[in-house]
Amino acid sequence: MSYHSGVCNFCGTGCGHLLMVENGTVRGVFPSPGHPVSRGRLCVRGWHIHELLATEERLARPLRRGPNGFESVSWDEALEGAAAELRRFRPDEIGVWASPRASNEDVFTAVRLARAVLRTPHIDLLSDAWYSSTAEVLREGTGWPGSLGTLADVRAADFLFVVGTDLTRQNPIVASELHFAAKAGADLVTLSSRTTQMARLSRTHLRPAPGAKKAVLAAMLKLLLDEGLADPDFAAGRIEGTEAVRLSLRDVDLAGLEKAAGLTADGLRDLVRRLAKAERAMAFFSSGTTGLGRDTVALIYNLFLAAGKIGRPGCGLVPVVGISNLAGANDMGAAPGRLPGWRRLPDPAAEAAVRSAWGEAAAVTPGRRIDDLLRDPAKPLRALVVMDHDEEINLHAEALKKLDFVLYLGAYDNPFIEFAHVVLPAATYAETDGTYTNTERRIQLVRRKTEPRFEARPAWRILTGLAVRLGASWGYDSPEAVFADIARAVPMYAGADYARLEAGVGGLAWPVDAAHPRGTARYERSAADPAPRAVPLREPLAGTAPAAADYPFRLMAGKSYFYWHQNNIMKRTFIPLREYNALLLLYPQGLVDVHPDDAARLGLRDKRPVRVVSAAGTMTVQARVTSDVLPGMVYAPYFIGPMIEGFLRPEAGAVERGEDAVIPVRLEKV
Amino acid sequence: MYILPKADVPRLLDAIAARYELFGPVVDPISGDTLFDRASAPSAVRLDAPIPVNTPKFSVFPHFERILTYRYDRASKALDIRREDLVRPKALVGVRSCDLTGLLCFDRFFLGQEFVDEVYRDHRRKMLIVANTCVRPFAQCFCVCTDSGPAAVEGFDVNLTDLGEAFLFETGSDKGRGLASELGLAPAGEHAARDRAAVVNRSIGLFDGQAVENKAWISRAVNRLTTGFVKPETWEYIGQQCFECGACSFVCPSCSCFNVQDAATQAGPTDRLRTWDSCSFEGYSRMAGEHNPRRPIEDRRNKRFFCKLSYSQSKKYLRPGCVGCGRCARVCPGDIGLPNVVTAIRREITEPKP
Ligand code: SF4
Ligand code: SF4
Ligand code: SF4
Repeated sequence: MSYHSGVCNFCGTGCGHLLMVENGTVRGVFPSPGHPVSRGRLCVRGWHIHELLATEERLARPLRRGPNGFESVSWDEALEGAAAELRRFRPDEIGVWASPRASNEDVFTAVRLARAVLRTPHIDLLSDAWYSSTAEVLREGTGWPGSLGTLADVRAADFLFVVGTDLTRQNPIVASELHFAAKAGADLVTLSSRTTQMARLSRTHLRPAPGAKKAVLAAMLKLLLDEGLADPDFAAGRIEGTEAVRLSLRDVDLAGLEKAAGLTADGLRDLVRRLAKAERAMAFFSSGTTGLGRDTVALIYNLFLAAGKIGRPGCGLVPVVGISNLAGANDMGAAPGRLPGWRRLPDPAAEAAVRSAWGEAAAVTPGRRIDDLLRDPAKPLRALVVMDHDEEINLHAEALKKLDFVLYLGAYDNPFIEFAHVVLPAATYAETDGTYTNTERRIQLVRRKTEPRFEARPAWRILTGLAVRLGASWGYDSPEAVFADIARAVPMYAGADYARLEAGVGGLAWPVDAAHPRGTARYERSAADPAPRAVPLREPLAGTAPAAADYPFRLMAGKSYFYWHQNNIMKRTFIPLREYNALLLLYPQGLVDVHPDDAARLGLRDKRPVRVVSAAGTMTVQARVTSDVLPGMVYAPYFIGPMIEGFLRPEAGAVERGEDAVIPVRLEKV
Repeated sequence: MYILPKADVPRLLDAIAARYELFGPVVDPISGDTLFDRASAPSAVRLDAPIPVNTPKFSVFPHFERILTYRYDRASKALDIRREDLVRPKALVGVRSCDLTGLLCFDRFFLGQEFVDEVYRDHRRKMLIVANTCVRPFAQCFCVCTDSGPAAVEGFDVNLTDLGEAFLFETGSDKGRGLASELGLAPAGEHAARDRAAVVNRSIGLFDGQAVENKAWISRAVNRLTTGFVKPETWEYIGQQCFECGACSFVCPSCSCFNVQDAATQAGPTDRLRTWDSCSFEGYSRMAGEHNPRRPIEDRRNKRFFCKLSYSQSKKYLRPGCVGCGRCARVCPGDIGLPNVVTAIRREITEPKP
């Protein structure tokens, strides 16, 4: 056979596929009808993953920077050299940046390398923040740091609520499930300022002004309570935390919202009635790079809790993950404030457990985010270990250049190696065994399909080798051995092993433990679990500030389909790259979407240049005139060179606020 | 016509594998999916497996194929071009009639027009095709609506029909007859043709109850598509649901669009690659100077169904492009698929005007 079953490694949906291998290289892909998540479908990215896996644009052999640039060295020299360099620094001068695309095994070894061998608490994930804060909200409410639902319930749902991002672009196969459900009669509602395809496929599209999502959700919650539709326990304050949530709702200004957000109170009232009436209701919202703020997620959670939809059969909240193993990498503890298994520091019991497993000297204190360290003018960071950088918009080029030592580990050629002193070629996910945890907590084992190409080695093996040279002896001789340690360290994975994960297609959803040997599809209230609690907001609900006279437009930043996550991966494919270029060729200077009314008023025309000016930055791009955006709104689907330099870098703070962020700008005809 | 006792099927597969690279329906042990694939051993071929997920077209039109490699030396301007020769001819065993019909569309498209596609011709050369009559349809099938099944009528060297105890071994070429004599098969009795017809008729009779996923009464749709009478709103309704994934093209037995791409290798020479492509992609029809005749998604969807069902396209294939395998409906995240398109077109004909 040349087709072998596995799991797509692009986004967090975790679709099942069959990779075709010929003469040691991957030459094709087909969807797997037997897979429980995707049931025979793949999106455009998944249909071209073989183009990425077949690319010759790989890091082929270990490299060390010498006086004349990079030179090839042997694995031994490279690892010895890297170990010697890393020994020069104090533990807290070193940071480790793990990859949300890497397997649980790879990330777990990175976490162990950081905390137990390098003894630094500065272990972090590239492009994470929102998933972490989203999962923390869910954990605060239910004890579950992850999706409360399962995709298998979507087609049976009565009410489906999508907040924000265009799922048809970010996680197309999740969107497909919602689309099938809607065609079969489910009430599909999208809350998004832009008219996206997801919005077009919905029965109701709520279209608030940019930045007003939170206000709309708060208003829905207030209406649910005012209309007497809430769950009796919530209404009577028998659920912990309800009072604090109610207090926050005092600031809801329905009249103001009607004016600013373009929604009517009657429309929202009708909507909350539909939600309350539904037997089975689910919500989907983006997490990860374009995620929602913490309080926005808390409002979605509280709304569903108040509507009596948390922990009920067929219900669930699903934070939709844009990157294959973002959820799993978080479970592994690739976060400065946590130990493996979502144990937030300080946590004396967890600290003791890690010390006894990894040695007394392991760093169990909270560390700092790598972004934050790179931005610190005191320059506390001197060395960095980086895994598979995704070429996120790099806002730290200057700080990275100043580091004394950078070790880069990755499969594909990447501009990030310009900052590196040692480069180690890693295997792709098709070249080693590993597990990946999808957006609904499903842990899936993906078997090796080919030998590593060129001189590449699997990341877990590289990191183990480095640890050995730094004096540790972990004894990991296979990913399975690493997984056995994961099961010991991460309580939700306690009952999982390779044999069990492979017993059926699609793996098992955590928690997998003695009480749930076959995994757990959804969070359900049971007598044994503590009842879910309300999650109080951290910040007051601010009304949508009226636009300032100087900057009357609100700009939202997005991510486009093909140039997905601005990453280094789509560039190695042919068809998805061409599709991205099709747009770029029409708008070579980059583009922003402007509503036709605004365009007419300002004399802007499609494809003609427009200057976008904020308080901090300026960029000149082309206008794309479309009524997919609201009047007064500007949408930048992606950022290219000059847009990043002139506009995005100065506005970095706003962009890091994610999908909730809006930047006040004015538009000038050029 | 001959009789192949079921116990002799392994002998048939061994005889084929001795001379050909053997492809057939095999079952993936992990997912349970049937694939039309290179058989690791003759015994892996499962003639009783359901319609495969993929079409046998990949064996003549690979998903991703190096069609040549070249090395160009700038200084001497020397160009060295190499092509690999296909070592062994291929045998496709257990091909369903719909898929064989797709292959015949390919022949007419790649070989039967002004230019002959050499790469395709090389894959197809000396090929042995053993078709397999569907004694029952699968849930997704509608070949009875597209005149392409459940039994093959042309294009095979051997056509097998399961008669219960044995297969009827119908030969369609000298290669097929050669195999029969090599295996020493007994000639079928005088009732063979009647028995075969009975099996096929029974299978057709089962469509109503078993092929329940799709119904596509295409004749009126052919007419509307050819004359361009389909309302723009119908295409918009369809286009709005398209996720632009390309799957419908990739799984279609008669879709042959491709892209050609050069890629440098670490070893030095450059690979010229041919990869599957799809008219659902915006970049597919983009031309120089920003011109794109099919930029909106509804125009791209419209193009595909025109290609599958219009009379003008049928003239190329000598039949409709759609072969009724039902795959496009199964893989479509947008719930489009050809049968749903036909339904949408028929609905606009039959619904009373407002
Ligand atoms: S939805 Fe995600 S996992 Fe599925 S095919 Fe697309 S990129 Fe791959
Ligand atoms: S469409 Fe017809 S020929 Fe094809 S598998 Fe189904 S029954 Fe057989
Ligand atoms: S399979 Fe469906 S969604 Fe994908 S391109 Fe074809 S029609 Fe569009």
